[in-house]
Amino acid sequence: MKSYAYLFEGLTVQRVLVVSAVCAAATASVVWLFLNTYRDLLVSALCVGYASMVLFTVAGNIRQARVPREVMQVGAIVIGSFVGTIVAGLVKGRDIRQMFAERLFGVLITMGLGIGFGCVVVAMYVLREKHARDQAHHHLAESERHQLAKNLLEAKLALMQAQIEPHFLFNTLANVQHLVETNPPEASRMLESLIQYLRAALPQMREAYTNLGRELDMARAFLDIHKVRMGTRLDYAIDVPDTLKCRAFPPMMLITLVENAVKHGIDPSCEAGSITIRAAEDEGKLRVSVEDTGEGIKPTKGGGGVGLANIRERLKALYGASAKLVIEERPPHGVVASIEVPAGSGA
Amino acid sequence: MSAAAITAVIADDEPLLRAQLRSRLARVWPELSVVHEMENGRDVEKVLGDHEPQLFFLDIHMPGVNGLDAARAIGDRAHVVFVTAFDQYAVEAFEQGAIDYVLKPFNEDRLQLTCARLKVRLGERPPSLDDLVERLAARIAPQAGAEHLRWIKASVGSNVRLIPVEEVLFFQSDEKYTRVVTGEAEVLIRKPIRELLEELDPARFWQIHRATIVNVDFIASVRKGLKDQAEISLRDHAQTLVVSRAFTHRFKQM
Repeated sequence: MKSYAYLFEGLTVQRVLVVSAVCAAATASVVWLFLNTYRDLLVSALCVGYASMVLFTVAGNIRQARVPREVMQVGAIVIGSFVGTIVAGLVKGRDIRQMFAERLFGVLITMGLGIGFGCVVVAMYVLREKHARDQAHHHLAESERHQLAKNLLEAKLALMQAQIEPHFLFNTLANVQHLVETNPPEASRMLESLIQYLRAALPQMREAYTNLGRELDMARAFLDIHKVRMGTRLDYAIDVPDTLKCRAFPPMMLITLVENAVKHGIDPSCEAGSITIRAAEDEGKLRVSVEDTGEGIKPTKGGGGVGLANIRERLKALYGASAKLVIEERPPHGVVASIEVPAGSGA
Repeated sequence: MSAAAITAVIADDEPLLRAQLRSRLARVWPELSVVHEMENGRDVEKVLGDHEPQLFFLDIHMPGVNGLDAARAIGDRAHVVFVTAFDQYAVEAFEQGAIDYVLKPFNEDRLQLTCARLKVRLGERPPSLDDLVERLAARIAPQAGAEHLRWIKASVGSNVRLIPVEEVLFFQSDEKYTRVVTGEAEVLIRKPIRELLEELDPARFWQIHRATIVNVDFIASVRKGLKDQAEISLRDHAQTLVVSRAFTHRFKQM
């Protein structure tokens, strides 16, 4: 029994009250047509109304996909009116066979009115449901807009909070400390690189708009520092046409890819490796890639996830579907990460 | 090398920092002889055999075999001093374990103090570092334990694309292949649903059908469907997914 309970879902007290009220009003509006008393007519109306209501509810809940729900429900009203008329006859203690034989006209009118009012009520119900659906749809669209605005804000926040790793900073300073004693010109160069990197990477110093050239300078400073630190283990090249350097490019994305290439590609590897930054324009798209010949990515190894997810969120917030980040394996070992954005003008 | 010389090995992946530690040590502890330098902990056994050093200065962060692994391998065969640039957790662990450590950039007074303590300790048997190393390893590399699949490798043209699993909306088997669907793209891989299920993080990826695994992060809503099934709508994707009866229990009373 319990397993069929779903068929009666929606058969609420409210629905019963609404149907009762509609029946009372309908009876009042047609009572002048009949010889019957209001009470007698109301009994018929309620029988027809309740029978239609129950069948209507069941028709709406039956799990089937062959017949449209609305058709099922109208059918339920027709059958409900018929059944209700018979029930009304029974309630009033009439002989059913005699009722159909002698009072056919009255029976047909009761059924007809039942079907008519029933259809009006169903139409109202369907319209209300549609309105609710539209409303829900509207809410969904609204919440999606909110979500997008929120994502953008979060992406900005994440950008502001991205920290310079203390590990990186102290290791670099330790190198400078040694160079100051052994090779002052080199120490000075390394400090310059560090300053340039910090200028771009310190959250307070970050600019909302930047161009590819400035992002490349920052990446170069970062790579120069690592080249000193890692000695012969790291080599790098930047292959970007000068014409593209003035192109607008979102901040901190390139450096995230370069940091990943060092941290997850070259650093974990005992072998020497190289990093190449490339940029090209093709069919209205600016494509910037960072390629390393390092460890590659093991399927179960994490890392870089947060930075990459942040880039993806920001690309989506800034350019919608017209920008993307793609990570690919580079044979025989290593990774290419590339960002593609619509090629804008200068910034 | 005089008979009294104390032998040490320096391990750090950064050449300048090895040189720096060597020159600082020469200043504060002239009797100490650095007999070998290593870029990582890989050759610890060979170095122990060849040089029988009494002392190791181990950078914690090194590629391949890191300082902690090297310390594990050394055991009580030599004294160990850890070297680290910055690591709050590591420093806390060191303080608790009363182990010697040196911070980069080097502070000469601090290095002197460490060396003074080491001179005393060298007469004793090296303490067991097992506890400390385990504690450090747990703090520094907390990913230990069940390793779940983090990347999906899929051939796209002649390239192998890497897709972080967090971005996958759902996996669905499609005859011989498995469809991997993200917000932006769709690729086919050969790994069957059954295998994926074993490798993916079960907290994030739920099987909802014999042929489907969904990323619960992307579920927008769950509706009752035909028969005892349910239907899932996704964020960022128009396709709805069917939850077969065997899996609907996961969505009950949620």
